[in-house]
Amino acid sequence: MMEDKITIEKLNLYYGDFHALHDINMHIQKNEITAFIGPSGCGKSTLLRSLNRMNDLVEGCRIDGSIKLDGTDIYNGDLDVTVLRQRVGMVFQRPNPFPMSVYDNVAYGPRIHGITDKKELDEIVETSLKQAAIWDDLKDRLKKSALGLSGGQQQRLCIARALAVKPEVLLMDEPTSALDPISTSKIEELALELKKNYTIVIVTHNMQQAVRISDKTGFFLLGDLVEFGETDQLFSMPKDERTEKYITGRFG
Amino acid sequence: MRTRFDKELDHLHEAMEEIGQLCKESISESTDTLFTGNYHEAEDTINLHHRIHKAERDIEETCLRLLMEQQPVATDLRIISASLKAVYDLERIGEIGADIADLVLNEHLTVANDMLNLKSMSQIATGMVNDAVTALANQNVELAKAVIDRDDQVDEGFDKAKAFLINNFNKDGNPEYLINLMMVAKYFEKIGDHAVNIAKWSLFVTTGKTGR
Amino acid sequence: MSRAKRKDRLMTGIFYAIGWIMLAFLLYLTLTIIFDGLKGFQWDFLGAAGNGIFDQFFNTIYLVFLSLLVSVPIGIGAGVYLAEYAKEGKFLTIFEISIESLSSLPSIVIGLFGYLVFIMWTGMSWNILAGALTISILSIPLITTETNNAIRALPVEYKEGSLGLGATKSETIRKVLIPAAMPQILTGVIMAAGRGFGEAAALLYTSGQSTYINWQNFWKVTSPTSPLNPFRSGETLSLHIWVMRTEGALNPSATQIANFTSAVLVVLALLFTLVTRRISDRMRKRNNGGN
Repeated sequence: MMEDKITIEKLNLYYGDFHALHDINMHIQKNEITAFIGPSGCGKSTLLRSLNRMNDLVEGCRIDGSIKLDGTDIYNGDLDVTVLRQRVGMVFQRPNPFPMSVYDNVAYGPRIHGITDKKELDEIVETSLKQAAIWDDLKDRLKKSALGLSGGQQQRLCIARALAVKPEVLLMDEPTSALDPISTSKIEELALELKKNYTIVIVTHNMQQAVRISDKTGFFLLGDLVEFGETDQLFSMPKDERTEKYITGRFG
Repeated sequence: MRTRFDKELDHLHEAMEEIGQLCKESISESTDTLFTGNYHEAEDTINLHHRIHKAERDIEETCLRLLMEQQPVATDLRIISASLKAVYDLERIGEIGADIADLVLNEHLTVANDMLNLKSMSQIATGMVNDAVTALANQNVELAKAVIDRDDQVDEGFDKAKAFLINNFNKDGNPEYLINLMMVAKYFEKIGDHAVNIAKWSLFVTTGKTGR
Repeated sequence: MSRAKRKDRLMTGIFYAIGWIMLAFLLYLTLTIIFDGLKGFQWDFLGAAGNGIFDQFFNTIYLVFLSLLVSVPIGIGAGVYLAEYAKEGKFLTIFEISIESLSSLPSIVIGLFGYLVFIMWTGMSWNILAGALTISILSIPLITTETNNAIRALPVEYKEGSLGLGATKSETIRKVLIPAAMPQILTGVIMAAGRGFGEAAALLYTSGQSTYINWQNFWKVTSPTSPLNPFRSGETLSLHIWVMRTEGALNPSATQIANFTSAVLVVLALLFTLVTRRISDRMRKRNNGGN
């Protein structure tokens, strides 16, 4: 058996009175890509954002049940939230480089976490950009603003920025929805490459993308995890009729 | 809602039923001519094959187009890929019907003395084709499994026919006739195999498993 | 040509015309002020004593500098508080409205308030610091509003991106949000400085209408006649104009001095705006890149 990186047990999440996630149980395994699919408002992004506690920013958000990272509960105070977010990095739907240079973007995380040595930072910036397969594109423009890059480059820069703090898990929230097909396939290839060293959880509206890159897929509907299993299985022979209807485009 | 896609799937379903129907006709007519020597029916069977061949092309095109345009998953994916595979076996069956008709027309073969028990083999094979086509159209699991089970009977018929020939080859004065009969036996055995394939693809639609 | 198209052309024409008229008017005003200022120019206007306005020129810059020293940190701090820490709700809305209306209060009212607080209550006589603080009352709301708006206008992804890397909220504000909002915050600073350059009424009873400085004492900050002593009275250019047109009418060159002062003030304000705008544009460019 492979080992659990993240274990979600009986997770319920509320936004004020709204019950957004119902009794979610899920085992996310190491070095795998897990995809969350489902119609808008089904709770997939909410669940993704609770994995690094980005939901803390939302007022009135309440959680019960547990989410464990390598067996440590991430909500009960054993793990500082800044440490959690360093271990569980995030890439967003819209590429969001900071309005500063390419170099400063990548070095931002390490600097926050106390690295000041110029040589060490240089090294981190280089390896991170290489890991994100964008070093060759950017090595001559490290001092230029990141906002001048193309959308696809920006998104890979954001991946490099996330990698720079040496996370173990990478959460991707519809990372290619704002990108053209070529950039999209580059990000997908990158994800497949990265899963060798990281555990990846991706929310996507593009079902073909889930089929192409993920090992496991979870289908969410109205806050329920309807079906969770091997991607090949789920897309060729779904067990639940609701999954079938959704993935074949007959509702949602 | 995918109304256009659903309509196309309906069309595909109809086309599959139609080609299945043609194959059933082809097999029953060709075996018929084999025992009656009816040339008209034999010619009919050969024409049938042309229609089957054309229908196969159309279905193939439809399936490839749907795969490309709709990127189907789940049941849609299974139906379209099963159709794409089964239509090949159906076409082979049509071809074999034409081959048998060809023996009747050009070799003037009629089975007068059914020493190889071809009649019973033909009945089993025809039955298998009928059931496999029905199973595929209606996704009938029981029927499909029954088709697969019956394959042994055709194989057995072929083995017996072969054994009979080996023992009796020198006794009868007409080796060409015997060889033609042997070929017919082989055809029925092949028809059985294709029917089994079709049955397996029908099982794939319902179970998602590719057999073996 | 279709009706819609004709109408479109007509409206475009009207808007262009309004734009050009405004521009022409501004240009006319500026050029008139500068031209009139230079018309009656006498060399002694440049001096520090007598008819000279150098002291007032220095006072203006010093007062604006002092007021920015106070209003920029407080304004930015308050703006950040409003944008990031204050809870959404009625209280916040009332607070925001109050701040915005504070900056549109008649400046004489603020001036008298400044007189009450910084002069009467402290028991001091008119001084530059009191003037600077009074100007700050007017300019803090400008910077606060601008900072608040600038930070709110930033994509939420900046904040999420930073927090997502494990940064704390204050690190996020200091290292990402404020630098990103800086070009727009500078617009607030320009407006704030503008208040300092242009204000007369608010300074009438706070920084005073006279200047007694000895340039020899420049670095002796504690000396009552040191230009750098913030507790001395100091008349600014705009106040000088007012004084020249009223009490100063005894001086035969009063009109010319007032005109020349106006020209200097306009040029000074213009220069400050241009320089700050340039800095802000530079920042924006550095932030946003190009290739």
